[in-house]
Amino acid sequence: MAANFQLPLQCLQYLEKRGAESQRFLIASSGGKIYSYAAETGQRLSSWPQDVDASNANNSKATETETGSEDQAPPEKKRKVSPSEEGPAETSKSTVKASTWSSIPCLVAHSNGDYVIALTAEDKCVRVLRLKDDGTLEQLSERCMPKRPCSIALTDDGNTILCGDKFGDVYSLPLLPGNEPYVAPKLPNRPKVPSATPLTVHSKRNLESLEQQLRYSQKNSTEEKNSLNFQHQLLLGHVSLLTDVAFVTVPQDDNFGKKRSYILTGDRDEHIRVSRYPQAHIIEGYCLGHTAFVTKLCIPQYAPGYLISGGGDDYLLVWKWSEGRILQKVPLVKQESETTQVTVRGIWATSIGGSNIVLVALEGSSNLQCFVLGSDGTLKPQDPIEMSGNVLDVAIMEKDSTIVVSVDCIREKGSTHEWRASPTSPSNLIESFRVKPGTENLEWEPVTESLVTNINMGGSSGIPADADTKQRKELNDVLYSLGNLRKKHGEDD
Amino acid sequence: MSTPPAKRQKRDQYRKRAAAAANEDTGKVKLPQKKFYRQRAHANPFSDHQLDYPLSPAHMDWSSHYPAFVNPDPEQKNLAGARKLLKDVEVVDIGCGFGGLLVGLAPLLPETLMLGMEIRTQVIEYVENRIQALRTQQNQLKNSSTTASESPAPAIPAEPATDGASPDAASTPETSNSPVPGGYQNISALRSNTMKFFPNFFGKQQLSKIFICFPDPHFKAKKHKARIISENLNAEYAYALKPGGLLYTITDVEEYHHWVLRHFREEGEHEASEGGVKDLFERVSEEELASDPCVEVMRESTEEGKKVTRNKGNKYVAVFRRKADPEWPA
Repeated sequence: MAANFQLPLQCLQYLEKRGAESQRFLIASSGGKIYSYAAETGQRLSSWPQDVDASNANNSKATETETGSEDQAPPEKKRKVSPSEEGPAETSKSTVKASTWSSIPCLVAHSNGDYVIALTAEDKCVRVLRLKDDGTLEQLSERCMPKRPCSIALTDDGNTILCGDKFGDVYSLPLLPGNEPYVAPKLPNRPKVPSATPLTVHSKRNLESLEQQLRYSQKNSTEEKNSLNFQHQLLLGHVSLLTDVAFVTVPQDDNFGKKRSYILTGDRDEHIRVSRYPQAHIIEGYCLGHTAFVTKLCIPQYAPGYLISGGGDDYLLVWKWSEGRILQKVPLVKQESETTQVTVRGIWATSIGGSNIVLVALEGSSNLQCFVLGSDGTLKPQDPIEMSGNVLDVAIMEKDSTIVVSVDCIREKGSTHEWRASPTSPSNLIESFRVKPGTENLEWEPVTESLVTNINMGGSSGIPADADTKQRKELNDVLYSLGNLRKKHGEDD
Repeated sequence: MSTPPAKRQKRDQYRKRAAAAANEDTGKVKLPQKKFYRQRAHANPFSDHQLDYPLSPAHMDWSSHYPAFVNPDPEQKNLAGARKLLKDVEVVDIGCGFGGLLVGLAPLLPETLMLGMEIRTQVIEYVENRIQALRTQQNQLKNSSTTASESPAPAIPAEPATDGASPDAASTPETSNSPVPGGYQNISALRSNTMKFFPNFFGKQQLSKIFICFPDPHFKAKKHKARIISENLNAEYAYALKPGGLLYTITDVEEYHHWVLRHFREEGEHEASEGGVKDLFERVSEEELASDPCVEVMRESTEEGKKVTRNKGNKYVAVFRRKADPEWPA
């Protein structure tokens, strides 16, 4: 049998523990697992969940199509996935089996470095993990959301998780649930009566079905509606699929020391909404200017007044988001080629060596585009960085002037579905680059230190090179699902 | 199999004749007949319809909707290069159906621009044709009354047994031949999915009235997400309403009425008892509604309102006033 492909690192996060001595980690999700690495050496410290057996992780039969299809909910997905454990205390300290999910599409590092928030795909569960000093991960809580979450953000104080889902709703959850068991608010016990009456429905068929409902409701009147068994609050909602949630706090100009917080939400119907926080029902404005779905919202920490947004358009937009005003339209493709449709996979902002850098990756592209954000809010393009495979995620270590890029070592460069003829050994899971000091323009040099070699040597879980077409497609869909957001205009009535 | 069903054939023939008649431009203007425009009463608000909507409110071309209100200065253009209007749209009927409310309100608020929004193609086509016919009729009346030697407008009784000024007469204009204030130049309608694209049409605090008349009740609990009134959508309505602006609702489904109250504010509910979007609305008292002519129009001249009357159903009205935004928390 040929050598195995290594499952790429879908999400990559850098975090720094603020303790007596600062410790630095890289956290990555790959398939159903999360790995932690020492950021200095690239040595793998742990893998979560621990008791995973290897055959199970390779078994792609567990790969439900759930993550792949991002379009409007087809009817067969109406089924309710019941939470694995009933009961109010969701702090299951016991080890978690990985067999229930095949991928972790979302990973967020807490700013103080103590926690990692992970989203597991199939069970729609938001999991809070503690990162211990030795780099091992321990699950503190699991909270299964009613609809598949698409994006997770943290508030500035780090105490609240904001979770946007494919039904367009944003929920807020406390990072660490309180000690008291959660008691669902008592809903007034309304007797179950059909809301239609002979006064409101008239056709023969409707009257018949109403009669049937009345008979039915008399038979079984007690049926508890199961709701979320943890503390949560619905903050706002779009009638669309939510794609990204961003949280920002800005100081007020006229009021010294006072700050105001906002939630920005992007959806599949081209909207970016700006809402107050915590009074999220007050919409402050919209940023309207995209003509295709929005996938990413990036508010640079060094310039919180600006928003860089991207999605299914072949350009980025830079906004003064508080006014809904477009400052710049930044082209993402060199020449106007009508045939290719681009999708923005990620936008990252960082400040290295005095320059405010914005990095942009397109879905299924090995080219990491670089820009410098000027003080007037305009992006100036720099030389891009070419990777050995498609860019999946970027982690930034500002102190070292270094970025770590997770690359796709399975598919061909520039393709979201064509697999390479054979796996390379060792696989390039990550590549790393450092800003060349003392140069006028932004220039990058590759990092070849132990960080890179150790992570790449360590590998991840293997995928047999002779995987069949179905299995390959499932794996492709897990990693490259953003294109499904594009609208297919069909017959209309 | 190859021939279209009889119904569609009839519709096509009707449309062709109507188009031909419009081209000939012979005296009498006929209003469209509803029976050729009927469509299933439900539409899925979550599907991707082939819709036209502006990039933002500043990109909307209103000039074709309200030609009588276009700014005479041709240099006044919006972001999409379309002529600007002298004033903004201020009243919106969400789910306008066959347009009875608009036609009823037009003479009451002749200087206010009103827009109906409807998701069903056939129905919106009817409303567009209806408004076009009404405008032409009014123009002809105006012209004939000025040319026909100062004689008072043809004093044909609008309809027996109804007083001419009642909204009912306005809503059955097939028989009303008297000039109407505003000449229906202030109403228009377009196809849209307001649940998704409301903010593409209207900016912050632009509207003074929103009407939601006899919305699709979506009886099944599973379908409640598709209801036009929800906490999430109410936040969007609040965004578009001026402080002091009114949101009118009417339904014949009692359960839906309570749903509406739950999602805005119940009568006698304590202030700040709940927070959320309810903070942005207060219910308008019954006494105040009694003196609001819009409520009467909403009850009596919408097509659905008449149907409920025919079937001897109940009508539940609730109107809410947009309050000013609360203070930022300290």
